[in-house]
Amino acid sequence: MAPLGRAALLLAFGLVAYALLAGSYAAWKRRRRLALSAQNALLAAFPTTLVAAVVLLVALGRRDMSFAYVWEHTSHKLPLGYALSAFWGGQEGSLLLWLLVLTGYAGLAVWLNRRSRELIAWTVPVFGLVGVFFAFMLCFVSSPFNVQPAPPDGRGMVPSLQNPYMLAHPPMLYLGYVGLTVPFAFAMGALLSGRTDERWIVATRRWTLAAWTFLGVGQLIGAHWAYVEIGWGGYYAWDPVENAALMPWLAATAFLHSVMIQEKRGMLKVWNMVLVALAFNLSLFGTFLTRSGVIDSIHSFARSSIGGWFLAFLGLMVFLSVALIRWRLPLLRTKTRLESLVSREATFLYNNLLLVALCLTILWGVLYPILSEAVRGETRSVSKPYYDFFLHTFGLPLLLLMGLGPLVAWRRASLRSLGKTFLVPFAAAVATGVALLALGFGSSWPGLLAYTFGAFVAASIVLEFVRGRAAAGGIFRLIARNRRRYGGYVVHAAVVLLAIGIAGSSAYQTERERVLRPGQSVEAAGYTLTYLGSTGVSGPNYTGFRSLVSVAGHGERFALHPGMNSYDIEGPANVASIYHDPRSLGDVFTTAQLAGQHSNRIDLKVFVKPLINLIWAAGFLFVAGALVAMWPDAVEQRRLAARYAAGAAPAGI
Amino acid sequence: MIALSVAAALAIFVVYTALAGNGVQQVTPSTVAGHTGDVTLVGAVVGAPQTSAAYTKAGMRFQLKDIGSASAARVPVVYHGSVPDLFKAGRHIVVEGSLRNGVFVAKPGSLVTKCPSKYAPAKSSKT
Amino acid sequence: MEWALALAAMLAVVAVVFVARPFLRDPSPASDRLDELAPEARRRLALAEERDRALAALKELEFDHRTGKISDEDYRSQVGLLRRRAAEALRALEHGEQAEHERVADPGQRVP
Repeated sequence: MAPLGRAALLLAFGLVAYALLAGSYAAWKRRRRLALSAQNALLAAFPTTLVAAVVLLVALGRRDMSFAYVWEHTSHKLPLGYALSAFWGGQEGSLLLWLLVLTGYAGLAVWLNRRSRELIAWTVPVFGLVGVFFAFMLCFVSSPFNVQPAPPDGRGMVPSLQNPYMLAHPPMLYLGYVGLTVPFAFAMGALLSGRTDERWIVATRRWTLAAWTFLGVGQLIGAHWAYVEIGWGGYYAWDPVENAALMPWLAATAFLHSVMIQEKRGMLKVWNMVLVALAFNLSLFGTFLTRSGVIDSIHSFARSSIGGWFLAFLGLMVFLSVALIRWRLPLLRTKTRLESLVSREATFLYNNLLLVALCLTILWGVLYPILSEAVRGETRSVSKPYYDFFLHTFGLPLLLLMGLGPLVAWRRASLRSLGKTFLVPFAAAVATGVALLALGFGSSWPGLLAYTFGAFVAASIVLEFVRGRAAAGGIFRLIARNRRRYGGYVVHAAVVLLAIGIAGSSAYQTERERVLRPGQSVEAAGYTLTYLGSTGVSGPNYTGFRSLVSVAGHGERFALHPGMNSYDIEGPANVASIYHDPRSLGDVFTTAQLAGQHSNRIDLKVFVKPLINLIWAAGFLFVAGALVAMWPDAVEQRRLAARYAAGAAPAGI
Repeated sequence: MIALSVAAALAIFVVYTALAGNGVQQVTPSTVAGHTGDVTLVGAVVGAPQTSAAYTKAGMRFQLKDIGSASAARVPVVYHGSVPDLFKAGRHIVVEGSLRNGVFVAKPGSLVTKCPSKYAPAKSSKT
Repeated sequence: MEWALALAAMLAVVAVVFVARPFLRDPSPASDRLDELAPEARRRLALAEERDRALAALKELEFDHRTGKISDEDYRSQVGLLRRRAAEALRALEHGEQAEHERVADPGQRVP
């Protein structure tokens, strides 16, 4: 079976290499049949990779320990679902997943746009280049199909990975990461073919939006996982692995906005090219970060088998992106200028600058340890205060801009118009701010600002819907006719919820830690938690304890059972107990550890996190908004098809 | 216009790093000697420390060694406070504190196990 | 695992045939040239995009005015400009298309 997998991968490598080489030659020398042939090779790469993927899946399902990869990541006792999820649990398998999603996306995107022969002729080799890297790694450096004499049982899967999140989180992220290759390939294809029109944007708009949604949702799932399972009381730790997904997402967010300006005003063509290249390269970098452990230190980087290759490929892609953009700079430059600093274009531009600034500061924070080690020989690192500072500095104005943007007209907004539309949201914000101050929320100014700006944005969005409904004659008609705009507003509403949830659960959280004997209590934010005692628990691969904590406060009574599991293989793990308060949409989050070996005293940690559940709710709203924005619009499709069909027809004999 | 904004962003950045200092020094067991003041120590746990001792007056004691290198350097660490998930022999951890009389005294509650890198080459049982 | 090898071989054959298909279908074509947009076609495309942009801007201005985002004065000051731009784009496009038809009908004639 393994030889089949290996053969399939070799074939896939051959196909993408052909797509790259023959495709480039065909596009350069304008050979129609060769270009089609290269296209076919790219299309064929997906079913071929799929065969390899199926071989691995079957081996995992059967727990075929002759596969070194299966032995490394599963065991006979492991439930089937988790055994299959080991597909992306290890390095080789996740590379295969990358290639699979890449060839799938590439094939579909190229097929759907096959009539744009000139653009596709150059897009195919770009996909081929990315595919060649991953296929090469899979065939010659890091193969999932290494065999060995089958040992009796496998190494098993880390218990912290054996939960439903492992089934959802990595695939979502991959669908996002890899998805960013599509707009990149089309953008580079456009540059290579010298086409400065919008075809590549029109072709990839939904792809970018879908990839961005997957990446965002994947991160939220990861955050929820960290919060509920890892149990340190938070959901985001600015760990390099977490930042690895956030950076491309921020770049993609900037890109989604600036592309709209190019559409409406024909401006910012160079900037869009830079952004799409940034998003793609950051997603490669993110994949590299999570694979190679390079951030631990330069020494661990050298240990990883693929670190060097990844870095080289990343360097190549950055170089190619820059070179291509520079080469086509004269073509991309337009004469259109920003007419006014107070216009919707301008707010989009500010939004872009803030997003990119935030993205780059995170990148700097991630690279700092390596850079300082290389430059000074000593490793320094930055931590939460650094990231929090910049999150506030850039994030809060971004939040405000979300509310300002819709209020401002395109091209030029007179202050009089602004005044009219501004009034209600501004009043709502001021009222909220004053009320919150009176209620004591001034303890955290970033939190206060987040809430106030959130009110501003929320009011502005509601007004958009109200005014729009009146003009369009019904809310469904309004949304149906302006899918992108109102889908975008829904997504903005989700971001407001996210911001409020983050602000509430961090700026206004209450944290208490106390060592308690049975009968003792601790007080937190109006809740009284009384420790009543502990009982031992045990499971197939762990022993531990659960404490009984009775909680009363705010007119409610409930019980929590924080404790610990001590796994035979993995060691101790916190088992957090969380109460979701429907009244405040917040959580009472508790963890407990035994304080002293032979006592029943516990060290109880309590976090009261107001409004945290808004974060998870935001995730759903996020997806809903994105779906609305992505929904195909028959009228628009026809118009676009007509526009490009006319252009694509051969001009004369 | 873009140039101006980029300059502004960079300015904020420079001001911040100037005021807040250049991050915290990160050291390993083989390089911690000689550092006074607060540092962040990164290492792999040696032996099987008693996690419940973290709440006793004496605190939890364990040793750290370098991750990845074959250096024989060992640093004794004493720690009070909550122990994070998956803390055990071989785990890579990060802890803040300072070196005092050859023993690294950790800041209570500052122990963090590194985000499990599922893709790093086989470790745990081998280290 | 002979069946596995046979499957692999079959896959390879199918892939090669698929890749060779454009050559197999059309061994001696009239033209093997990859279509590309002539400069006139590119200009027309740019004009078409300009036209769509102008029309969309006009539509959005109307919508913003109806929903009260733009005051009457602002509307009046901008609508004239946008309408002119849209008309210009439409005219340029028609002119370009007309010129294209003339050129195709009589390839010898050059149109400025």
